[in-house]
Amino acid sequence: MSVPYVELHAHSAFSFLDGASTPMELAAAAAEVGYPAFALTDHDGVWGSMEFAHACRGFGVHPITGVELTVTNHRPRSRFEPDSDPNLDHGPFHLTLLVEDAAGYRNLCRLLSEAHSHTRDNTGRTAGQPSVTLEQVEARAAGLVCLSGCAGSGAVAGTWARGDPAEAASLARRLLDAFGRDRFRIELQRPYWRRDRARNRWLTGLAERLGVPCVATGNVHSHARGRARLQDAFVAIRLGTTLEASEPRRRGNSSSALASPAAMAKRFADHPAAVAETLRLAETLRFDLTAELGYRYPGSENPGADRELAELCRARLDERYSGPKAGRRGEAASRLEAELATIGKLGLAGFFLLHRDLLELAREVACEVRGPESARGVLPPGRGRGSSVSSIVCYLTGLSHIDPVENGLFAGRFLNDEATAMPDIDLDFPRDIRETLIPRVHTRYGADRSALVAAFPTYRPRGAVRDLGKALALPPAEIERVAKTVGFHERGGELERDVVAAIGRERTASRGWQVLIGLAAEAIGLPRHASQHPGGMVISTQPLLDVCPVVPAAMQGRQIVQWDKDSCADAGFLKIDLLGLGMLSAVERCVEEIGRTRGERVDLSRIDFTDAATFESIRAAETTGVFQIESRAQMQMLPRTRPRTLDDLTVQVALVRPGPIQGGAVHPYIERRKRQREDPGFEIPYEHPLLEPVLRETLGTIVYQEQVIEVSMALAGFSSAEAEGLRRAMSRKRSEAAIEEHHDRFLVGAVGNGVPLETAERVWRQIQGFSGFGFPKAHSAAFGLLAYQSAWLRIHYAPEFLCALLNEQPMGFYPPDALAHEAQRRGVRLAPPDVNRSRVLCHVETPGPGAARSRFESNSDSNLDRARSAPEVRGGLIVRIGLGYVKGAREEEMEALVAERERGGAYLGVADLASRAGAGRDGLERLAWAGALDSLRGETPNDPWSRFESHSGSKLDRAAGGRRRALWEVGTVGTARRLEEGAQMALPLEAPPAPGLEPLGEWGEAIADYRMTGMTLGEHPMGLMRHELGDELARSSDLERIEDGTAVEVAGMVVARQRPETAKGIVFMLLEDERGTVNLIVPPPVYERHRAAVRASPLIRARGRLERREGTINVLVSEVAELRRTQMDDVAPPGHSFGR
Amino acid sequence: MTPGIRRLYAPRRVAVEVDAEGIPLAVAGVEVVAVREEWLVEDRWWTLRRIWRHYFELALIDGSDAVVFRDSGARWYRQRA
Repeated sequence: MSVPYVELHAHSAFSFLDGASTPMELAAAAAEVGYPAFALTDHDGVWGSMEFAHACRGFGVHPITGVELTVTNHRPRSRFEPDSDPNLDHGPFHLTLLVEDAAGYRNLCRLLSEAHSHTRDNTGRTAGQPSVTLEQVEARAAGLVCLSGCAGSGAVAGTWARGDPAEAASLARRLLDAFGRDRFRIELQRPYWRRDRARNRWLTGLAERLGVPCVATGNVHSHARGRARLQDAFVAIRLGTTLEASEPRRRGNSSSALASPAAMAKRFADHPAAVAETLRLAETLRFDLTAELGYRYPGSENPGADRELAELCRARLDERYSGPKAGRRGEAASRLEAELATIGKLGLAGFFLLHRDLLELAREVACEVRGPESARGVLPPGRGRGSSVSSIVCYLTGLSHIDPVENGLFAGRFLNDEATAMPDIDLDFPRDIRETLIPRVHTRYGADRSALVAAFPTYRPRGAVRDLGKALALPPAEIERVAKTVGFHERGGELERDVVAAIGRERTASRGWQVLIGLAAEAIGLPRHASQHPGGMVISTQPLLDVCPVVPAAMQGRQIVQWDKDSCADAGFLKIDLLGLGMLSAVERCVEEIGRTRGERVDLSRIDFTDAATFESIRAAETTGVFQIESRAQMQMLPRTRPRTLDDLTVQVALVRPGPIQGGAVHPYIERRKRQREDPGFEIPYEHPLLEPVLRETLGTIVYQEQVIEVSMALAGFSSAEAEGLRRAMSRKRSEAAIEEHHDRFLVGAVGNGVPLETAERVWRQIQGFSGFGFPKAHSAAFGLLAYQSAWLRIHYAPEFLCALLNEQPMGFYPPDALAHEAQRRGVRLAPPDVNRSRVLCHVETPGPGAARSRFESNSDSNLDRARSAPEVRGGLIVRIGLGYVKGAREEEMEALVAERERGGAYLGVADLASRAGAGRDGLERLAWAGALDSLRGETPNDPWSRFESHSGSKLDRAAGGRRRALWEVGTVGTARRLEEGAQMALPLEAPPAPGLEPLGEWGEAIADYRMTGMTLGEHPMGLMRHELGDELARSSDLERIEDGTAVEVAGMVVARQRPETAKGIVFMLLEDERGTVNLIVPPPVYERHRAAVRASPLIRARGRLERREGTINVLVSEVAELRRTQMDDVAPPGHSFGR
Repeated sequence: MTPGIRRLYAPRRVAVEVDAEGIPLAVAGVEVVAVREEWLVEDRWWTLRRIWRHYFELALIDGSDAVVFRDSGARWYRQRA
């Protein structure tokens, strides 16, 4: 029986907060009910079209590309017509556009780019409604089929519904003129609204008068009826209101769910010709998005690219492999020739040359950003990461800083003869260089030929609770309590338990919360809006606008294509990843700060890579702030693996990943390493001798991604392409079925190689387990090197390194408060923000009269220079917290405050500050609360240095009323007023004598510190609470002396909580008290009993049993309780949460 | 509802004969000559009083119009047109 109907109008979740199903769900549902073809027509975008096209191909459905375009029709007004009359502005309305051929697709892309081009012209660059004018549509009608629009807001039906049939008919005639009789249809819909029949009768009559056919469409908004409720909720969320209040704007019923062709034919039983027309029209819409883009990247057509690349690499080979590396030249040369041959065969020479060109551009940008005299000048502009680091071509062209020959890196994962997809070259840059580089790439390759890749933030449990809770009008306090309790990465199914933990069983059982739990499970994972990828860029030979719409990004000067990285890869786009790596920025800042404070230039590529003190600290897990090996899990591992070389660090970085953990590599690796230490003759027990050559360096375990390739080739005889196919199956979403496809082939191949079936199955299970996520060795080598460099800086330049970390936040595992406390415990001196000493960023200062000159001081730097050069200063550097750390303080006000101090000397008092700095009252109050005005109090003009006596609220300050007094003074003196033209300064009128004010006290100051800067440098809150907690409570430092298995009770601030996918529900917590940190292991039953305390409390006490294993100490928790302290709950850092 | 307050235009139960497809043939014994409109309201599903109504606007043989709906319990009501 022939299919009676094809759907030509459907929305996916990429009609953000309108459609409620993924393209994959729509494609699968369409195939299931027997559609031969199906159109995706999301609002003003093709964000999901590539994913939909590939999904449809997989299901044997022909994908039709289209959009529902928003159009405005500003007809000329007579001067007698008021501007505000909505009836005169016929729009915005919708048109359904379907792609007929490649020319039509190009027109669609151009139209969509034009529609978005002015959406972020507002000052906040927030995304506005995209739209084009009817004239723009008319100009780009070729190759497109136009349907007259949906029942509610369509150009023709919507205009009729608003009571203007004459205008509706006039619009239809214009569209007919633009698209012609073959490519314009009157669109009939049947949404089961009250005027369906009348509207469709009128539309049918209009079509007859115009002489064009009608076509029926379903305006699908979800793949199944059950999802229609979520679609309702999305409408409310989009409108920023409740379900109740959004009633007029919702669809009103669930008939916009995908229905079978037969059901749709029945729905339009009164209009059989319109149903038949769907088939006729679909036959003409043969454009194939998966095959007809015609994309090319710059250099791809360069006939001399092979020669150019080879000459470049051969020239660099002699430089790189000379001197101590000369012994490896032969091996390097043969690897180079092999890679060049592969590159030539794949036609990728232009790809490498383009990347090199980009790196040269980055070098220019780095020189500009760093400045000619910068200590950072000796550092390369960026570094490679990922599998490209294994390529000798990348090494020789400067795209990688790791010698693949020296490090034994396997290039097959990156480049092999049978590769079908474009390889990835990822480059890491310090954030400041990357910020300048991205717009420069637009300039170099053309704004119309380069753009960032899109990313689609998806609903996570916390966001779903907040958005849906508001739509359901649930009590805001309950929503917030639940939102704080749910894990960021939690699965939808666990939400109910979190809701119970947060608000109790009774409230959870209420209708509203039950509905929310159900809706959240459906919403999680759906895209919420479009954003930009952290650094992925696409570059094209032809204008990008012809292959994918380009839209402005939230950041000025940037633009994004409408596809994410997967769609770009599916489209065959060359994607270049220019990633901003916080630690790279931090080490550069650190090098810069070392140069500034000590006059030393540090070249991180020439430091001692065998430094005993650095490795000793790594083995002792003293790695807070160190790249990649600072997490709780890594710290637990380091004393057991005991890294001694950079190679060991390469393994270490890769080991604590889901792949090796789930593949069962971790414990065998640790155990074998221990056995090797104890017995150098220990023989590694390989699963099979065939595996020895490929798993030797990781002691018989699969740690690196490419080892999956190597194992499948060595054991099962996979070709490199088959093995790469297996690896790719592992890296895709929902990959289980794709991985399983390789199972039989693996077993057959292994048995054919003489491997017993049970052994082959065991190795397969390790490979299967590895599918979570793992690093390629090349990537680990790059990251291992940065881990070492950061550890080295931490050991040898502790103040500068801490300062750099504080300035690069947010990054890493620890919040600034924990970084500061850990540094204090090892003797690094920190000082709070101070208007007379701080800069906007944190900086390292030398002790003495102060970085700020008084206005009585000469302009010479001689005093400072003498202070810096004094030997006693070198060990006494102080990390001064920057004014930028004061929450809510305006950056430009702080910059002006510092600039004025550098110009006119130190501030003498609050009145002096208020009259000179230009900061408003709000800014000054925030500074006062943060303690940044402490040094201004109590001094007299004759004693300008008196303010420098104390770094923090000293007893003297507190006796004088503390920060309250500063606040009182700010309240009484005049402050600057912000005007259009700038700030109007206050008169320098001294405040009258302050009344007797109660000091804040230690708790008050700690709370003020946390509230205003997120950290306290004074007494740790646990130290302040200790006397109230009882003697039985152990401190972190006590645990060293307590025997294994002893019952203990500890308390502290939660620094981090982790619930890794790989840990079977166990939660790992890191607590901090006044002496150090404590590791807690919370088993699932304990977690279930104390979910709210574990998830959300900033301060807890925990009872359990002490466990001591190979240099690590944990508390296996049996009871958890919140440690409540007035106001601390609101201001204490919440701790970082990782995992589910 | 507050005692003493009467809702205006409240739907009233009515007898409706339907065909095999559920389309009204007669309302309170009066023959239906045409279905002018047919629509569906699904609302307040997030509350304990969810609404599901299949509406018909009908032309009756006596020349009058009628708006009737069937609820989720298959009961028929007549509502002011």
